[in-house]
Amino acid sequence: MKKHSKTLLGASLVAAALAISGGALVAQEKPVIATVVKISGIPWFDRMNTGVKAFQAANPDVVATQYGPATADAAQQLQIVQDLVAKGVNALAVVPMDPQVLEGTLKRAMDRGIVVVTHEADNQKNTNADVEAFDNADYGKALNQRLAECMGKKGKWTTFVGSLGSRTHMQWVGAGEANAKQYPDMQLVDPNNESFDDANGTYEKAKEILRKHPDIKGFQTSAGNDVLGVGRAIDEAGLSGKVCLVGTGLPNPSADLLESGAITAIGFWDPKNAGMAMNSIAKTLLAKKPLTNGMDLGVPGYEKVKVTKGAGEGVLIIGNGMVLADKKNYKEYLF
Amino acid sequence: MNPAPLDLVDAGPRPARASRLRDLVARRPEAITFVLLVAICVAVSVANPAFLQASSLIDIGRASVVMGLFALGVFVILAAGGIDVSFTAIAAFTMYSLTVLVSKHVPGLPMPVIVLMAMAGGALLGTVNGLLVHHLRVPSLIVTIGTQYLFRGFLLSFIGTVWIMSLPPQMGAFGRMPLLQFEAASGATITLPMYFLVLPAAALVTWWILNRTLMGKAIFAVGGNAGVAARLGYNLRTVHVFMFAYAGALAGLAGIIHTCANRQSNPFDLVGTEINVIAAVVLGGARITGGTGTVLGTLLGVLLVVVVNSVLVLVGIPSTWQRVVVGGFILLAAAFFVTCQKKS
Repeated sequence: MKKHSKTLLGASLVAAALAISGGALVAQEKPVIATVVKISGIPWFDRMNTGVKAFQAANPDVVATQYGPATADAAQQLQIVQDLVAKGVNALAVVPMDPQVLEGTLKRAMDRGIVVVTHEADNQKNTNADVEAFDNADYGKALNQRLAECMGKKGKWTTFVGSLGSRTHMQWVGAGEANAKQYPDMQLVDPNNESFDDANGTYEKAKEILRKHPDIKGFQTSAGNDVLGVGRAIDEAGLSGKVCLVGTGLPNPSADLLESGAITAIGFWDPKNAGMAMNSIAKTLLAKKPLTNGMDLGVPGYEKVKVTKGAGEGVLIIGNGMVLADKKNYKEYLF
Repeated sequence: MNPAPLDLVDAGPRPARASRLRDLVARRPEAITFVLLVAICVAVSVANPAFLQASSLIDIGRASVVMGLFALGVFVILAAGGIDVSFTAIAAFTMYSLTVLVSKHVPGLPMPVIVLMAMAGGALLGTVNGLLVHHLRVPSLIVTIGTQYLFRGFLLSFIGTVWIMSLPPQMGAFGRMPLLQFEAASGATITLPMYFLVLPAAALVTWWILNRTLMGKAIFAVGGNAGVAARLGYNLRTVHVFMFAYAGALAGLAGIIHTCANRQSNPFDLVGTEINVIAAVVLGGARITGGTGTVLGTLLGVLLVVVVNSVLVLVGIPSTWQRVVVGGFILLAAAFFVTCQKKS
C-alpha cells in the first residue's frame, strides 16, 4: 500500500510535468530523443544531463532532453517511459532501474517504431542497442590490479558489494578475485560484505573488519558510497596510507579522502559521456544507419566500440570509458 | 545441557520455575534482555576472542548513539499506546535543512545553537504528528506513515537532493571531538567521540519525565487505557502533542549527530531504518500495545540490536547469511517476549 500511494503521487506529478512540456514535444518537426534516468537530482545523473545538453548543443537537428523520477523507484520510471511512448517520442535512451519492469513497455515502444537504447542493462531483451561503458570483467580486474600494486602484491584483503543481488558488483569483485589469484601472497578474507550503498553501515562494517583482521592491507569496494564509509574508518583509525582502498566512487564526494590518502584510487565511468553515447547511438539508428564493430561514436571513451549480439534482438555495444583516478588526477573529473 | 530460557516458557513439568520466570518477565522484562545480551557477548568471545578488546566496546557505544536516541523517542510514544514511523524522516529533514542553512546562510553559527535548532525543528515536525493524531482520531501508525512521506517528499522536492560532502567546519569538528582516545596494539587509533555523552543525558531526561513528572504518569495512563485516562482528567491533546514533539526533538538531535559523525549530509539517508529501532524497543521489554516498559530496557534493547549487527563478521557468518541471522534472532526474541507477556 505504501508503494502504491507513492507511485500514484509520483506518477501524477510526472504526468503534470509532461503535460506542460508536451505541447513543445508535439509541435517539433525534428526527431525527439528522450533520455530517462533512474533518478533525477543526484550528482551522477546531473552529470549525465550535462552530457545530454552537450549532445543537444552539438546536434541542433534533434531534440534531446532528460527525464527521471524523484525517487529511485522502478514503478515511477515505468510511468515516465509509458507517458513518453504515449506522447510519441522518436527515440528513448533509458537507464533502467530494473530491466525486467520495463520489458513490456519497451516492446510496445519498439512495435510502434520507437528506437530504444539502454545503458547499464546488458540483460535487457527489448532494446535496439544496449551500451556499456566498459567490460565489467576488465573493470573489476583493473580495480584489483591497482589495489595489488598498492599492497605490494601481498597481505590480507576483502571486498564489499552493494548487495549480493547486484549483478555488476558481483562481476567486478569476481574478476578482482580472479586477478588476485596470480599473486599467491594476497589472501582474501571475509569477502562480499554487503554495504547497501549506505556510508554509515559500511563504516561500521569496515571497523569490524579492521578489528577482526588488524593486519588487513586492502579493500576493494563496489557501490558508490562504499569508499566513503571504508575511507572514513581508515582515516579515523589513522591508517591512511597503511591500508589500501580502491573502489567505485565519484570524484567530488571522495575528494577529501583522496587528499588525506585514505582512498588509494577510485574507479568510475563518466556518466556525461555515457549519456552522449546513448544519444549518439539513438541518432544513428534514427537515420537508419548500421552499428558496426569498431565504429566511432564521436564521444571520448567510445571511439572504437565493440559491437556484439545482445540479450535479445538488439546489439550490445561496449566502450572503453573506464576511468581510474587517484590523488594526482581526480581534479580533472570533478562531478 | 543447561535449560535455556526458551525451554522454560512452555515447560510443563517445571511449573514452579516456569511461573517464576513468567513473573520476572512480567515485572522486569529488561532482565531477560540483559541476560540475552550477556549470553551473546560470551558466545561471541568464545567464538572469536578478538571481540574482547576495548575497541569493540567503544565501537558498540558509538554505534548505539543515533539508534538509542531514536529508540527513546519511540519508547515514549509506545508507552502511551501509539507508534511512530516518521522519526527517521524527521531526522533526515532537520539534519539536511539545517546543514543547508548553516553552510549557505549562517556559516558562523555556533554548534550549541545548531543542536538546539535541530531539536526545535524536530519538535515542530513532531507537533504536526501529535496534532494530526489527536484531531483526525486515526491510529498513529497511519498518520506517521503519511507524515513520513510528507516530510521526506517535502525535503526532496523543495530543499534539495544534492549530497553535502563538506560540512561547515564547526559541525565537522563536533563529529570528531574525542572524549577518549588511545592507540591499539595494531597502531590504529581508537576514539570514543564526545557526542556519545548525548545518549546517557537523553536517557536520564527521558527517565525523569516518565518517572518523576505528571506528564510521565499521564503517558503511561493513556497507554494503559486512553478512555479511562481522559475521564481521570488527563488532557489527551496535551499528552499527544507532548509525546510526539519530544520524540521529534530526539529525532532532530539524532539526525544532526548522524550528519556530524558521518561528515556528510545525505537527504536520502536514515529513512528505512525504522523497523530496527522499533524492534530494539520491543526487545527492551516495552509492549507494542503500550502502557509498559522502562528506559533501561530500551537502552538494553538498542545494545542488543547493535551488538548482534556488529559481531556477524567477527563470528564469521558469511554475508549471504547475515540478514537471515539478524531477522531470525529478532523474530525469536520478540516472539519470546510477546508469549511471556500474554501468559502473565
